[in-house]
Amino acid sequence: MFLLEGIKKYAKTDRTALINRGERLSFAELDALSDAFAAWLLDRFGDDRTPVVIYGHKETLMLPCIYGALKSGRAYVPVDTTVPPDRARQIAEDVRAKAAVDFYDTGMVADELLNADKLREVLEKYRGREVSSENWAKGSDFAYILFTSGSTGKPKGVPIAVENVENLEREFGRFVDESGEEKVILNQISYSFDVSVVSVWLGMSRGMTLYTIDHEMVENLGELFENLEKSGVSVWVSTPSFAEMCTPSEKFDASLMPKLEKFIFCGEVLTHKLVDRLFESFPQSKVINTYGPTEATVLVTASEITAEMAADELQIPIGEPLGEVRFRIVDEEGKEVPEGEQGELLILSKSVGPGYFGRPDLTAKSFFFDDATGRRGYRTGDAAFRHGNLYYYCGRLDNQIKLNGFRVEIEDVENNLVKVENISRAAVLPVYDGEKVQSLAAFVLLEKPDGLTNLKRSIKIKEALREVLPSYMVPRKITAVESFPLNTNGKVDRKKLKELL
Amino acid sequence: MKEKIMAILEDICGAEPGELEADTELFEEGILDSFGVISLFVEVEKQLGVKLEPTELERSQLATPAMIIAEVEKRA
Repeated sequence: MFLLEGIKKYAKTDRTALINRGERLSFAELDALSDAFAAWLLDRFGDDRTPVVIYGHKETLMLPCIYGALKSGRAYVPVDTTVPPDRARQIAEDVRAKAAVDFYDTGMVADELLNADKLREVLEKYRGREVSSENWAKGSDFAYILFTSGSTGKPKGVPIAVENVENLEREFGRFVDESGEEKVILNQISYSFDVSVVSVWLGMSRGMTLYTIDHEMVENLGELFENLEKSGVSVWVSTPSFAEMCTPSEKFDASLMPKLEKFIFCGEVLTHKLVDRLFESFPQSKVINTYGPTEATVLVTASEITAEMAADELQIPIGEPLGEVRFRIVDEEGKEVPEGEQGELLILSKSVGPGYFGRPDLTAKSFFFDDATGRRGYRTGDAAFRHGNLYYYCGRLDNQIKLNGFRVEIEDVENNLVKVENISRAAVLPVYDGEKVQSLAAFVLLEKPDGLTNLKRSIKIKEALREVLPSYMVPRKITAVESFPLNTNGKVDRKKLKELL
Repeated sequence: MKEKIMAILEDICGAEPGELEADTELFEEGILDSFGVISLFVEVEKQLGVKLEPTELERSQLATPAMIIAEVEKRA
């Protein structure tokens, strides 16, 4: 498997695999630590290859756990600290985790639960043990399972097989780097968000150095910029939102990152505004836009944004389908629409994953086998149109949105809001700034008056929500209303509510 | 200037007019987050023509509306 082979290959060199707040991990060390973790898993659980849940953020030892799980033939289930403990426990229950690593002692339940200290003991004890490549995850074995927002209010698991990621490497790897030189790639995206695969799999397998940018740095732009300057980064991978966070600073230009060759964007709409700013401030760097749902392994399109695209009145394209990937845009009856017309985008590709974890009902709705192309297909729920070879994204066909790159089901937020004390009904609306969702706004109906000001009440509600939802899913504005405007079907009239914003 | 900054903050924080007080702890109360701060910088520049350099201002310098107003006034 290319990733683990890559790590083995560079373990024989003096290359650095990870820089995390001044701490350096060499490829040799990473290889040894992940072998130790794999040896422990094999010792303790033998042939039982239940996925390993890892709760944490950007701790240095996260990566040895991820690669160790793969070396033992197990999938990893990364859960970022933006996910509250309750939801994390739910995920561990859903995968019936036998082994879990919890860097934050959140009270997760598993047969073998390692906190940071216990993990260090295990790694020390098994140091020097080598794990044969026969044990490695391969082919149709699950590589990872990511949990995304589900419309029922419970997270939904998306497993991706090793062969799916191998297809991503085959089709997209060259966009990351072709030189084979030791270069630095940004490691900013939470491991529980699949865009991290670009650094954690494609970057690492090429012997690149992952430079960590953690939540704390993002909260303090001064510290973030110091790190960007120190990083010597060549390849930037992020959501457009993360770059947009940097653009209000005058210091965000080529002198801050003189080695920067390219920006790779994924996860949400790339706006003209951001492209213009980057073209102006980073004239030597390419901007590559990509698109893809988690279900089809990170991304299935890529295009370098040209001056022509930037000047075009049309939105920035999501790009061309990669190599073997085929797209089909269909109307409500499933018939292909002519060029230029909008419809639902279907992806036919070897990157399309096996379906939803433990949910054959949902899998049957969205996944299929396409006889015409002999490929597995996925109905994205995204509206798109084609213009020449390029595809353009036009929003969702359902209530899912992208907020700062995170995928959020509106109903997930609503279902959790009505569980908060004294709230009988809730409606959540995305607030747009141009083409992009900027924040969420919620309207709530109270069971009885609480005598609080709107601000005090929304502080209370947000606190309750943070206990059950990832922080990015907590609405910024929460307004109590006397009644909900209803449409003729007796449903909440979202258009009328929008006018209240 | 003061009123304008308060209005920008109220809009970003989802507060009704007059609800935010000069010493409301914006981060501690969970009213303002990283993306909210960036919106604040962008709106202050757009509406008041005052440029705040985000890398030079830490959260501790922007903890309350009064502190934000002071930072903006310094640069106006």
